Amino acid sequence: MVKYVGKSITRVDGTKKVTGDLKYVDDIKMPGMLYAAVKRSIYPHAKIIKIDTSKADALTGVKAVTTGKDFPKRVGLYLADKTFMAVDKVRYCGEAVAAVAAVTEEIAREAVKLIEVEYEELPVVENVLDAMKEDSPLVHPDLGDYKHIPIFHTMPGTNISEHFKLRKGDVDKAFEDSDLVFESDFYVPHIQHCPIENHVAIAQIDREGIITVWASCQSPYAVRAALTDAFEVPAHKLRVISPSVGGGFGAKAGTTLEGIIIPLAMKTKGKPVKLTYSREDEFNNSYVRQAMHSKFKTGVMKDGRIIAVKNQFAWDGGAYTEYGVNIAKSAGFGAVGPYDVANIHCDSYAVYTNNPVGGPYRGFGMSEIHFGIEQNMDYIAEKLGIDPIELRRINAQKPGGRTATNAVVDDACGLLECMDKVIKDIDYYTPSEQPKEPYKVRAKGFACGMKAPSMPNNAASSALIRINEDGTAYLSVSAQDIGQGSDTALIQIAAEILSIPPEKFTINTGDTAHNPYEWQTVASRITYSVGNAIIKACEDIKQQLVQLASIKLGIFPRDLKLEDECIMSTIYPDKKIPIKELALGLNMPDGSGVHGPIMGRGIFVPENIRNFDMNTGLADNPVVFWTYGCYGVELEVDMETGNIRILQVASCFDVGKAINPDLVKAQSEGAIVQGIGSALFEEIIMKNGKFMNPSFMDYKIPTSNDMPEMKVSFVENPQKDGPFGARGMAEPAMIPAAPAIVSAFYNATGVKINELPLTPERVIKALKGKNN
Amino acid sequence: MNKFNYFKPSTLTEASEILRKYGENAHILNGGTDLVVRIREDLLNPEAVVDIKGIEELHHINYNEKEGLTVGACVSLSDMAHNEAVVKHFPVIADSAEVVGSGQIRNLATMVGNNCNASPLADTATPLLALDANLLVYSPEGNKKISIHDFFVGVRKTSLKTGEIVIAIRVPSYTSMKGVFKKASRRKDVDLSTVCTTVVRINNDEIRIALGAVAPTPIRAKKAEGFAKGKDLTDEVVHQIAKLAVEDATPIDDVRGSKEYRLHMVEVLVRRSLEELRY
Amino acid sequence: MKYQIIFTLNNEKVQHEVEANKTLLKMLREDFDLTGAKEGCGQGECGACTILVNGKPVNSCLMLAVEADGKEIVTIEGLSDGEKLDELQKTFITNGALQCGYCTPGMIMTAKGLLKENPTPTVDEVKVAMSGNLCRCTGYKRIIEAIMEVVENNKN
Repeated sequence: MVKYVGKSITRVDGTKKVTGDLKYVDDIKMPGMLYAAVKRSIYPHAKIIKIDTSKADALTGVKAVTTGKDFPKRVGLYLADKTFMAVDKVRYCGEAVAAVAAVTEEIAREAVKLIEVEYEELPVVENVLDAMKEDSPLVHPDLGDYKHIPIFHTMPGTNISEHFKLRKGDVDKAFEDSDLVFESDFYVPHIQHCPIENHVAIAQIDREGIITVWASCQSPYAVRAALTDAFEVPAHKLRVISPSVGGGFGAKAGTTLEGIIIPLAMKTKGKPVKLTYSREDEFNNSYVRQAMHSKFKTGVMKDGRIIAVKNQFAWDGGAYTEYGVNIAKSAGFGAVGPYDVANIHCDSYAVYTNNPVGGPYRGFGMSEIHFGIEQNMDYIAEKLGIDPIELRRINAQKPGGRTATNAVVDDACGLLECMDKVIKDIDYYTPSEQPKEPYKVRAKGFACGMKAPSMPNNAASSALIRINEDGTAYLSVSAQDIGQGSDTALIQIAAEILSIPPEKFTINTGDTAHNPYEWQTVASRITYSVGNAIIKACEDIKQQLVQLASIKLGIFPRDLKLEDECIMSTIYPDKKIPIKELALGLNMPDGSGVHGPIMGRGIFVPENIRNFDMNTGLADNPVVFWTYGCYGVELEVDMETGNIRILQVASCFDVGKAINPDLVKAQSEGAIVQGIGSALFEEIIMKNGKFMNPSFMDYKIPTSNDMPEMKVSFVENPQKDGPFGARGMAEPAMIPAAPAIVSAFYNATGVKINELPLTPERVIKALKGKNN
Repeated sequence: MNKFNYFKPSTLTEASEILRKYGENAHILNGGTDLVVRIREDLLNPEAVVDIKGIEELHHINYNEKEGLTVGACVSLSDMAHNEAVVKHFPVIADSAEVVGSGQIRNLATMVGNNCNASPLADTATPLLALDANLLVYSPEGNKKISIHDFFVGVRKTSLKTGEIVIAIRVPSYTSMKGVFKKASRRKDVDLSTVCTTVVRINNDEIRIALGAVAPTPIRAKKAEGFAKGKDLTDEVVHQIAKLAVEDATPIDDVRGSKEYRLHMVEVLVRRSLEELRY
Repeated sequence: MKYQIIFTLNNEKVQHEVEANKTLLKMLREDFDLTGAKEGCGQGECGACTILVNGKPVNSCLMLAVEADGKEIVTIEGLSDGEKLDELQKTFITNGALQCGYCTPGMIMTAKGLLKENPTPTVDEVKVAMSGNLCRCTGYKRIIEAIMEVVENNKN
């Protein structure tokens, strides 16, 4: 009988968030704090000939000025291709070239204006397809010298920093055997995460040389790793604190502005240096979701079976792809989406351009590839005269089937169940009721999606639990609650096993000096990975408590259980001892003590996750899990203005086990609206390497009045190694959004759109194209 | 934000003196929703900011049949849009005001400010153009009236001279007037107009059409208006008027929309407005 | 040069000296340590800085601090009375109407202003009224539900 897991308990962080009490990094004020400002490149691609900081140095109130030359070491998560400030050339418009710390923000900005940079412009690599051509100028001519994790295929002498190859079966033969072969291509533009909190960080170095960084970041340990590498300081002398994060979605997964302020802090004798990004900085200088071109050639049989797919994904990774290489790789091994295809030939390329730096964004490449995969399914269904849902059912990955990398699909794949649920919730087969205005059309659409965490095979988690003398507990982890509710869900897991009610826990996160290791808060892996570590910490505590209770009660450990905050006999329930009486160890009748304070330690690393074959991309167990699900959408198109209104969305995902059903649903709801944004409004407009719309004035995200009716649900086919069967779902929950919307659009208008977003203008253009 | 001197005079005379003293380096602060952003983003660097909200007479709004509607410079868009007389006699103006920015912005911003910015896409400019509004202007040489048709000179340029202050906007009353404001935008709420239009029908025989975001200033579609004069609004006529309205528009391509889309939307919005005005 | 202003801040009369080139948001955050209002865009597009001025929600990033003179200002910190939370704060918690929390103070202040003016708006009116407050996490559903719960209570 579970007591706390599976229950929609109220978020533990509500009060501090509704009162304004919670302090985010920008809310921190420290004595003597200095403010940083950054000189940024005005060219997308140029050699730095000279930087003259003398006037800035001389300005009253300026305490430090730095340039990229101060720390020229290249670092990066998967590929060491970046420096925190440009060293000898700039590779995108907005790249940091120098930084200033001053007593006020105004002086820092004034000083930045006084820095003179002489550039020699280089030819701009604007477009990923051009960047892949042999004669393209190179963004990173030294790519061959960069260190990288050996699982990546860089291609020195080109702009390609990762080429992931998937070769399964024999596509050429399969195309010959196919009844029909289809070709199609798609484009997804750059978009941005738009957390409401912009990036911000503070760095301070004390006289012992200990660097403390307060950063709004998803992954304090990953930030520490990047910074200790770049600045060559030992890990115990670099403390990263992330007190709270105002939204991440991947934008705050990496290390960006932290690396700009540390060199300043090194020069300012103990004074904290703060850098707060403006919204414009956030758009241009944090991360963007990479743009991507996809091409598909699909071989099908008349009965609907897809027997061959040859496809290519070309990712516009921007100026640096330290993180982006892994997105390209994920796309490559996701290749064909949630379908079981015997013959696959997939090439996925991370490509340098002079565009803003690409990075992780909710979905990690899966939203982008599914945009094409799912439209392709609709296209094939129509050509074959098969119902598009039926076509998906025929080809869906099912338990016992095979993934793209030829791994066996286990029982945890509930895609068909999710489809049934969504078809019913959106009433898919009942045609939309048409509005009275003759120029408006309504229709429904559908799409599937899937995602696996894409991370190093040994991405680890850990947890420490300390029992206080009154029977309350501290749960210490380095999972960051970036809004998804992990603080609440993780407490529920610990509460369940220790039988201590959730309100008796305080969770501590976000401090590398005090809380144990966590690889990263990304990849929808926290409930799974940290949850597992917590279970182990709880088991550790339980074992200690049972041992002590056994001494105290004189009962064999095998006859003891943990229930209702007590260790009790399984045979004589009145024989028991409360946890709190054991919290500091056991007191013996003679006054002596045994054991000491109860602390639980839990560590976790997924078992037997192994690399892909470097030549074929095949792997029998390359990821911890796949999460499957789907969307049904109903929309209304104004055929004259091109405006689209999403009326209702139903979504369902196989979450394994919902630790907190309300939090799961809340993730689904947020994902739907974010997905609507990516489908209808969001697009970074680049012109000659310049970001043309870096503001909420001209980059629109959905408002409360764009929200559709939402019917979100989940099914629970347990994850075999998940805590209580749970697996990640917060990213997968967004993936089918754009293709489902485009599918409904097609059903409404009969017009195909293979490029996002469906702005009124693009819609009208497409509709006019059809009429001509 | 760069440093500047802040003044909050309580009379127009005083305000005008400061404005003249600082000349081009002075800027009026009214609702501030545009000015504060422009100063912060270094697009403006005034030496003096003259807050006119201390001038009592600028806060009035009133209506009478003889003079029409008078909206003081400091009346917020939300107060104006919810004003009983505006809702009753000029719902088209209220409609245009209700789509400027967000509720929070409308609690600060004013219609006079929206027009003094002389943005080509000012939502409230189109009903004012269609209704032949006038601006009541304080001038050191004596108060004067500027027709809205003479007010916009170019992108962010008005015909106001240094030291002149718009006291109020006055809209004449009409015995029989029906108007429709429409706006095309990328997002339904809190967005700038890709195109906005106001079409009014006066005494059942005159059609006036004002267009925003399709030229350096908000404009009237004179050709279409001339054609429409005295005609019954049959389907055919409505289509022709809408097509003609496009001819006066000279939009540009920008991040909010292409020239082609804007022209297309002029036709759609004008046609839809006319269709609503038939009844 | 600094300007002297007198205003009411969360029900207390205050006198303060402030530079002209400081926004109201910055003054509240820096001079009064009221950090509940946040800067999300600095252009009045996101609503994270929303506070009540004379009972009406406004973007405090679009006002100069000196403009606070003579005004009655309420921030999120002034909404609760010690540990006693405002109705909206309570329903935001119980409805799970928050995730990362960064937009939450602004959301609540806009809703507060709306309900002051109209205690019983329709759900469609609420959706429009809240459209000046961006949230990237929640998808808004629970925010609207939290506000509507207070609206329903107001009807009784």
